[in-house]
Amino acid sequence: MRVTEQMRYDGVAQNLAQLSSRQAKAAQEAQTGVRVNLPSDDPIAAAQLARLSASQSQVAARRNTISSVRGDAELAESSLQQASDLMASAKELAMQGGNGSLGASERATLAQQVKDIRDQLVGIANTRGTSGYLFAGSATETQPFSATGTFNGNDDAHIVDIGNSTPSAVNASGAKAFTSAGGRDVFGDLDALYNALNSNDSTAISASLDGLDRSRSQITNAQATIGLTINKLDASDSVQSAIDLQNSKSMSDIGSVDPAKAYSTLVQLNNALQQSVTVGKSILDLAAFKQF
Amino acid sequence: MAGLNNLLNVARDALTAQSYGLNVTGQNIANASTPGYVRRVAVLETQNLGTQSGGGVRAAGLDRVTNDYIERRENQATGTASAATTRDQTLASIEAMFNDGAGTGLGSALNDVFASFSALATNPNDTTTRANVLAAAGAFADRANQTGNTLSQMQIDLKNQAQDTIDQVNQRAQEIAKLDMQIAQATMQGDDASDLKDQRTQKILNMSGLINTHTFTDGSGNTVVQVAGATIVDGQHARSLSLDMNADGSLKLLVDQPGGGGSEITQFLTGGKLAGIKEARDKDLFDVSQKLNTLVFDVASAINTQHALGTGADGGTGRNLFDIGASSTNAARDVRVSVDVFDHPDRIAAAGSVLSLPGGSDNAVALSKIFDTQVAFGNTKTAAQAYGDIIGSIGSTRASSQRDVETQNAILTQVQSMHQSQSGVSLDEEMVNLTKFQNAYQAASKMIGVADQLMQTLLNTVGR
Repeated sequence: MRVTEQMRYDGVAQNLAQLSSRQAKAAQEAQTGVRVNLPSDDPIAAAQLARLSASQSQVAARRNTISSVRGDAELAESSLQQASDLMASAKELAMQGGNGSLGASERATLAQQVKDIRDQLVGIANTRGTSGYLFAGSATETQPFSATGTFNGNDDAHIVDIGNSTPSAVNASGAKAFTSAGGRDVFGDLDALYNALNSNDSTAISASLDGLDRSRSQITNAQATIGLTINKLDASDSVQSAIDLQNSKSMSDIGSVDPAKAYSTLVQLNNALQQSVTVGKSILDLAAFKQF
Repeated sequence: MAGLNNLLNVARDALTAQSYGLNVTGQNIANASTPGYVRRVAVLETQNLGTQSGGGVRAAGLDRVTNDYIERRENQATGTASAATTRDQTLASIEAMFNDGAGTGLGSALNDVFASFSALATNPNDTTTRANVLAAAGAFADRANQTGNTLSQMQIDLKNQAQDTIDQVNQRAQEIAKLDMQIAQATMQGDDASDLKDQRTQKILNMSGLINTHTFTDGSGNTVVQVAGATIVDGQHARSLSLDMNADGSLKLLVDQPGGGGSEITQFLTGGKLAGIKEARDKDLFDVSQKLNTLVFDVASAINTQHALGTGADGGTGRNLFDIGASSTNAARDVRVSVDVFDHPDRIAAAGSVLSLPGGSDNAVALSKIFDTQVAFGNTKTAAQAYGDIIGSIGSTRASSQRDVETQNAILTQVQSMHQSQSGVSLDEEMVNLTKFQNAYQAASKMIGVADQLMQTLLNTVGR
């Protein structure tokens, strides 16, 4: 084959251009550690990465949800614990009041203490969290219990998506904990005790004990329910955190380069480029006319 | 005596012929790196003196070392490579737009919208979470608008490029026709038309880069140039191409008819920059725009439907989150946060009904659940799957286009190399020729010296 000058120049230039472009890509991979810089670098991987990053965004949103609702759930649990303690105190007062040796004025003093307990309980049932009144259902901006214990809230669940197939309720039901919707009207039971003590009616005092017990266990049940909700939040967070980890690992597996391999490729191409420059120089030096 | 005079004549002719050879060699060396230059060979032949012996040498002219077959192959390969490269440039721009690596792309904006619904569910009565929904929806609309606008702009730019390319083709056709005329004149006057022919070959090669070009010589010896199957230069006459648009916005290529009007040749457009522009614009860009518009329309519509079912903090219901047209046409470019809710965080419908205000979160959860629902592409994909599909298809189109560019360029290089091997100047070869002609010239000079000496000797002898 007849070889002309232009062919020599073109050949050398083309080889150098090809090697340079491969070397530049290898250098980028080695420097950034990223294998898929553009969708065309690996279309399937790029599509997977887009889906994984969407999944990561959802996981992050769920974990944010869990951490922001968990505070209110804990506050509800501790509030219900206090409420249950108050009911225990009320029962003690009822037992004291049932003692036959007590007179009317002593029972009136006990009645005053029962009234204090009831006022405290109204306060607890009106506790506010980050998203409004904890025990008001969805009427989060309306104080759920009046001073007399009338319920102005509802029994709506506050649902959020924490990754379970059905959205989860994360609030404690004030209706079920404190009102007749749960079986006993807690404030009514306290009022019954107060009235019995005030009217020095020992039969009525004894009769109130059963209601007080049932009211307390109603509150304890609500406390257990919100406790379970907190457990569910924690369990979901673990699941989401595991998904997060798995996604991160997949993204790294799919999108990252093996550093050792990237480095050795780069070194290889650097050498090839250097060699190609040397060879190219000697090819261009070859021209016979220089010998004339 | 006639013998000695003849010797002088032969030597004189030899000097002329060898210096012609030196000139041609010089021209070749001078043009060793001129694009399109075809090496010349000095054609020397013996003087025909009939039956007499002792004829000298004569320069019969130049030979342009060309090969029509290789030239046609080069034209064709140039066109194919140019089409592939042009298309790849557009695909590179599209790809850069959908590169979500930086986390500022449409995909992450869409993810943020769903994340904002989740946050809204945790605290439906909080103005900040509501404002965040509006902000995320606004950011998504902005990204979609920006992407849609850029795609539309690219479509316009490519049409302009197509027009420019057609203008260039028409310009080249005029130039080629003019060269044909000059070549005909030069040939008629017995002049050397090699330079003109070089120029014409170069123009045709240049035209091949713009549009698929085919040349042949017709029965009467005229060179006919055809582009996209239509004759554009016939002998010394040129016709022109023009551009039109179909109803669907795709490009239409016409060749003007001598009697007026034009006939469509779009379907024969297979090579050159114009073919690359056409494919990138009417196929690749069209596909991406359509998928993007469908995705935006499907997702925004699904969100609207759910949002309208819910109730805002103000008790209002039936409102859309996005304003979007009745069909997916231009959805990406035109989607906006709905005027129903714009600047009104309280109108974001987090609650399922007016009864569950202000703490109801069921509609916010339902909105966030759209993330997991197959709402896109005829309810066959989730939004994230659909977006991943778009990324994947853009990536694989670009990857195959890159391979195409490599293959076509390799073929072109191969053909160019064949062409160079045939028609290019080899300096080594020219150096040998230079020496050859130089030596012959020196020998001819010597011949004159010898003839002169002989003549002197003879004159001296006779004169004594």
